[in-house]
Parts: sequence; C-alpha cells; structure tokens
Amino acid sequence: MTPELGPLALHLGLVLAIYAIVTSLVGVWWRRRDVIASGEHAAFAVWGCVIVAAATLLHALSIHDFRIEYVAAYSSSTLPLYYTVAALWGGQKGSLLFWLVILTSITAIVELQNRHRNRELMPYVTAVLMGIATFFLLMVVFITPPFEALAVPATEGRDLNPLLQNYWMTIHPPSLYTGFVGMSVPFAFAMAALATGKLGDTWIRSTRRWTLFAWFFLSLGNLFGALWAYEVLGWGGYWAWDPVENAAFMPWLTGTAFLHSVMIQEKKNMLKVWNMVLVILTFSLTIFGTFLTRSGVISSVHSFTQSGLGPFFLSFLAIVLVVSLSLLIWRLPLLRSENELDSLLSRESAFLFNNLILVGIAFAVFWGTMFPVISEWVRGVKITVGPPFFNRVNAPLGLVLLFLMGVGPIIAWRRATWAHLRRSFAWPVSVGIVGGIACLALGGGNYWSLVAFSLIFFVLGTISAEFWRGMRARQIMLGESAPLALLRLTVKNKRRYGGYVVHLAIVMIFIAITGTSVFRQEKQVTVNQGERFEIGGYTLQYNGLEERDTPHISYLMANVGVFSGDRQVDTLKPEKRFYKKPEQPTTEVAIRSTLGSDLYLVLGSYDEDTHMATILAYLNPLIGFLYWGGATLAFGTLIVIWPAPLAAREPAYAAAPEAREGTQS
Amino acid sequence: MNRSVKFGIGACLLAAAIGYLMFAGVQTSSSYYFTVAEFMPRQHEMGGEPLRLAGRVHEGSLRKQTSAKGTEMNFTIGDFAGPNRVPVEGAIPVVYTGVVPDMFAEGRDVIVEGRYVDGVLQAHAVMTSCPSKYEAKPGEAAQAAAN
Repeated sequence: MTPELGPLALHLGLVLAIYAIVTSLVGVWWRRRDVIASGEHAAFAVWGCVIVAAATLLHALSIHDFRIEYVAAYSSSTLPLYYTVAALWGGQKGSLLFWLVILTSITAIVELQNRHRNRELMPYVTAVLMGIATFFLLMVVFITPPFEALAVPATEGRDLNPLLQNYWMTIHPPSLYTGFVGMSVPFAFAMAALATGKLGDTWIRSTRRWTLFAWFFLSLGNLFGALWAYEVLGWGGYWAWDPVENAAFMPWLTGTAFLHSVMIQEKKNMLKVWNMVLVILTFSLTIFGTFLTRSGVISSVHSFTQSGLGPFFLSFLAIVLVVSLSLLIWRLPLLRSENELDSLLSRESAFLFNNLILVGIAFAVFWGTMFPVISEWVRGVKITVGPPFFNRVNAPLGLVLLFLMGVGPIIAWRRATWAHLRRSFAWPVSVGIVGGIACLALGGGNYWSLVAFSLIFFVLGTISAEFWRGMRARQIMLGESAPLALLRLTVKNKRRYGGYVVHLAIVMIFIAITGTSVFRQEKQVTVNQGERFEIGGYTLQYNGLEERDTPHISYLMANVGVFSGDRQVDTLKPEKRFYKKPEQPTTEVAIRSTLGSDLYLVLGSYDEDTHMATILAYLNPLIGFLYWGGATLAFGTLIVIWPAPLAAREPAYAAAPEAREGTQS
Repeated sequence: MNRSVKFGIGACLLAAAIGYLMFAGVQTSSSYYFTVAEFMPRQHEMGGEPLRLAGRVHEGSLRKQTSAKGTEMNFTIGDFAGPNRVPVEGAIPVVYTGVVPDMFAEGRDVIVEGRYVDGVLQAHAVMTSCPSKYEAKPGEAAQAAAN
C-alpha cells in the first residue's frame, strides 16, 4: 500500500458523498427510485473510500513510514503495536479520519437495515448523513490532511505522548467518538421526518436502538475518560470540569433527556416539538464539543493546540442549527400535541421535570464552560469559573434528579391520587429514611451526604419494589421459582427492567460521587527517609527512593510502607518515569484499593541530595462504585438494546409489508 | 387553575432556582484570566483579585528550595513569543509552594492561578498547557491544587 492511496481515496470519497446528497434529494424531487438507489450506493462507496484511507494510514503507522508527518509525530519504531493502532486517533488529523470511519460505517449499517423500511424517510436520512460526512471529508482533504508528507523524511518518530500510553486511553476516544457520531442517526431521521412531514413516532421507533447505542458509548466514553484521569493524571480525582470533559458531558445530558422524553411521545403522543428540540440540541452539542476541543477558543489544560479548524466547525454548526430549526418552525403546525398534561402529580410530569433538570444542568455546564468568552463579550475581560461553580450548581440539581429517578418509575400515569401515592411510596420512603439515618450513624458526614444517601436509598427502594412486585406476580400466577421469575420478568420486559438496571448503575455512580466529594481526605507532606505520617486510619512510612533503568524509560520510585495499626499491610511505590523519547517525565500513581476506599499516593517532588520527598496522599472512599457503576450501566443498556426474538417483535411491524427486515425497536 | 399554567409556574420556579445557583456560583468561584501581555498594563488594578495568568516561564528564573513545608518555587513568567510577533517585555514574579505538573520547566507555557499581592503572584495552582511540539490531545491536567 503506498501512502498516495490515502489522499486519493479521500478525494474520491468527498466527490461521492456530494453525489450521494444530490442524487438522494433529486431522486425525491423526480420521484425516481433508481436515482435514490444510486445515492444509497454512493453512500456505501464513501464508506469503502474512508476504510481504504484509514487502512492506508494504519499500514503506514505499522511499517513506521516516517515520510508521513502524522506517522512521525505520533509513533516511533519502538512503540508497541497496541499503541501504534491507538496513534490513529492520538492526534488531530488521524482523529478526524477515525471519526469518518465510524460515521460512514454507521451510515452503511443504517442503509442496510432500511433497504425495505422507511423508504420515504431514507433519501433524506442519506442526504443528512452524507452531508455530515462531506463536512468531515472537506476537513481531512483540505484543512488537516493526515497524509501530508514531510519535506525531509524523519529517521525516527517522536512517539505517542506517554500520557496516552495507557489502556483507558486506547478505548476512551473510540467510545466517545462512537457516542458522538451515533447521535447523527436520530438527528438524520428527525430531519427526514420534518422534511417529509411524517411526524408520527416512526422516526423515533426506528432510531430508538441507535440512540441507545450512542448513549451507551457516550456514557462509557465519559467514564473511561474519568478513570483515565484518575489513574494517570495524578491529582487524586477523576473529574475536574475541564472544558474537554464538559464538551463530552453536555450531549450526554441532553441525550439522556431525549431517551426519557421519547417514552412520553410513544405512550402519550405529547412533547413532539420538545423531542425535536432535544435531538437537534444533542447533535449540535456533539459538533460543538468537537469545536470546543479543536479550536482553542477556551483554554483547556488538555485541548488540542490551535489548528485553524475552529471557524469551519462553527460555520458547520451554524448551518446545522439554521437548517434544522427552520425545518422545525416550518412543521410546527403538524407537531401539535394530541394530549395534555393531566396533573402535576403524574408520571408525565415527573418525566418533564427530569427533562428540564437535565437540560438545566447542560445549560449550566455550557454557561460555565463558555463564561470566559461570554464575559469577554460583555465586559471586555476574560473571567473563568472553576470547579466550585460547577459543583455548587450541579450538586443540588443532581440530587433533585436522583429524587425524580425514585419517583418517575412508580408514580401513576395521568394523575396520581393520594391513596396511590401512600401505597406506592411507603416502602421506598421508609428505605430512604432508614438508610439515610443508618449512613449518618455509621459514617458521619454532613448535610449533603445525609440528603444524598437518603435519596440513594429511596431510589434503591423504588427499584427493588418494582422488581419485587413483578417477581411476586409471576411467582403467584405462573408458579415460577424466584430466580426464574426474576429472569423471565427482565427478559420479557427488557426495556423496563433493563432501564431499572441502568438506574441502579446511576445510583452507584452517585454513591461514588458522594463518597469521594464528602468523605475524601487529602494530605501533602514533605518527609525525610524513615519519617511517618497518617491518613484515614493508615500510617505511612517513607523508606526512601529506588531507581530502575530500562532502555526506554528510567524510573524513580518512592518506597512507602502502608501500616494499619502496627501491621504492615502493603508497600506502595508511587513513581516518576522519565521517558527518553520524547524526553518527558510522567507521574505514576500507586493505588491500594479495598472494598471501602482507595489509598492513592503520588510522588510530587523529591530532593536528590537529601532524598526528601513530597508525597501527596489521598483517601477516596467508595470510589470502587464508579467502576461497578460503569459495568452495571453497560450491562443494563445491553439488556435494553438486546434484540427481541423475531416472534416476539411488535405486531405493528410484522403486519406491515415493509417489515421483512425485522424491526429496530 | 389550568394545569399547563401550573406546570409553567413549576418550570419557571425551577429555571429561577437554576439561575440563582448559577449566579451564586459565579460570585464565589470566578477569577480573571489574562495572558501576561494583557496583564502588564493593568497589573495595578488587580491587587488581591483572584487571577489566572497564562505565560511562559523565563529561562534561568526558576529557584527551588525543599523544606519540611514542601518545595518552594520562585520563578518569573513573561509573554509567549508568537510566530509573527515580538513578545511584550516584562516579567511577573511567581511564588508557589507545592507540586507542579510533570511538564513544568523553564521555557514552558503555564497557567498560574493565585492572587497578585505586592507585585508578586502568590500562586495556589500551577498548570501547564501543551507546548506546540506535542499536538497531543490530553496534555497535562495535573492540577496541582495546593489547598
């Protein structure tokens, strides 16, 4: 494979993508099926071109072709193969190509799934998805070409940034990109629904699984990023409200709101405009997030350097917003709600408030992130807000959201009576009160942790009540054993009970957040050899520095004995590494994980003459729940997404002649 | 009362609450952000204000001293040299006790957070931004918050 193949494929892909847009729209105009089909075929061809380009770049990386600037900048001849593959998305140019790989692959799958379904929507879906692809292709062809050759070929690469040489970092960007790109599918279908005027819930049913797919990867991408920060960056925490983190968090919030509000549209035919707004907002935020991280508008501690991409992304975002909002306004008369809200005490209302709060949090995060820009416009001075802003705003909102998570699943539709409320909520509320008091008695804490844990137990009460009720009903009616009843219950109502498992995961993440923000301890000490200090029930003894040298990296470790009482339970060795190429020191934290907490040590600095060392010690209680919550979230979402057996699929589709491919939702 | 009006009132209350939280949040945790070049002409108005200052650590200006209190660092930061511009003259002295990110060194671009008191920036956090040499994505977020 010669590297010349890459640019060639990208140019061809660009031409084909534009061709696909034109033929799809013209095909509708002329009512010509063959023209529309030609557009769809072009979309497959674009996918082929992008795959060829990506394969060419991977090949160049794997044979260390340092004639190419990108290869020389992000890999080296000694970089392990595992990270050489990761270098594909390690830098700006490669990451845009990688983005295209995901986008066009998803497009190809969507086209395949809908060969015989949604025929009226599909030309527009193709046009929208290819429109997005055209933008990214324009970027990689004209603005940031990944195959640019060096004037003088390098003899050796500069290697991947050592901070990226970590397993979380190999999976974090692909997850996040997949989540971002996946949101294009519901957006494309929404636009198609607006364009055709077929505004029933077909577009929602057809994209429900794609939305969940995108949400799944967005959630995991955010979590992987947090875990990477925790294990690599060495400041003791996992979330700093950095603009880059916020960029990924905002579409997650609006996407979560969308997942909930579509249920109201499906069940009650309400909130049609709101759902459109949410899907437009979510997609726009994925583009905005990409813009934020690539433009240098906001100084972030981990943003890409300024690259001239900013104005292009901003223009694209403007086009997206103008076109989609114009379509929405044009179709407003058709989007009138067929039902009204019956009562404030109803499930509909709980869902609505859940939506408002999720969007409110997204707005607050947006405001805080953009505050330097906004204040510069208004007052001519850049003013930044730090993590305390985000925590102050989002902690109370998060708790209200937690409360609604306990209310939503069991409050009655339409109108809840007091008798119903008493019956349904007696158990969850009791669990909440008892749990809150028990936590206060056991672990102390403050007002925040008392409220948080009461609500956490309240939600656990709700979830357990739902599973219990369903299980008992099956046991009594069908005589099934408890585990079998539980299993069948979940399998038969995957959407509902899988959703509860996801709620359980969110509760676990709340436990981790409460634990680490309320009960966290930290200490910074500068100690001589043999000196001891204490943190959270542990006594730590600094035994001096150790050195180790390899051809690639030299290590300097602080040997720290960990004592619980008089007994030594562990030896931790937080280290400084000195990568020899590129010459860069990195900090490697040492963590002792137990069921209840993490002891987290960082070697801050040291004095070579006296061997005095500055050690940062953190005790992060309950952080293990972040990992368990992530795993549970993945498990729950998979339950929801898992396709039903053919026979059990919704009869509406089975009856329709178009449904030969099976259904999406 | 009409139910949608009721809901509207609820939504307004919620929006007001969010607005209040945001207002209060900005009051408590905002700080000015300047580059050294922007800061030089206004340094006299900024005494005691919370600041984030972006600049480049001057070569040869770094002094370190480790004691039981930690490692105290003294250095000065100046303007960045852009590709098409001459850096603005001047140096802001910084004093910081604590841990700095791995990428911190003389000649590197940093963001220093602290208060400007009597002509010295009393820093409580030092962050490094990626030098352009690495275009890599997550640079250094080691927030050496010394509080």
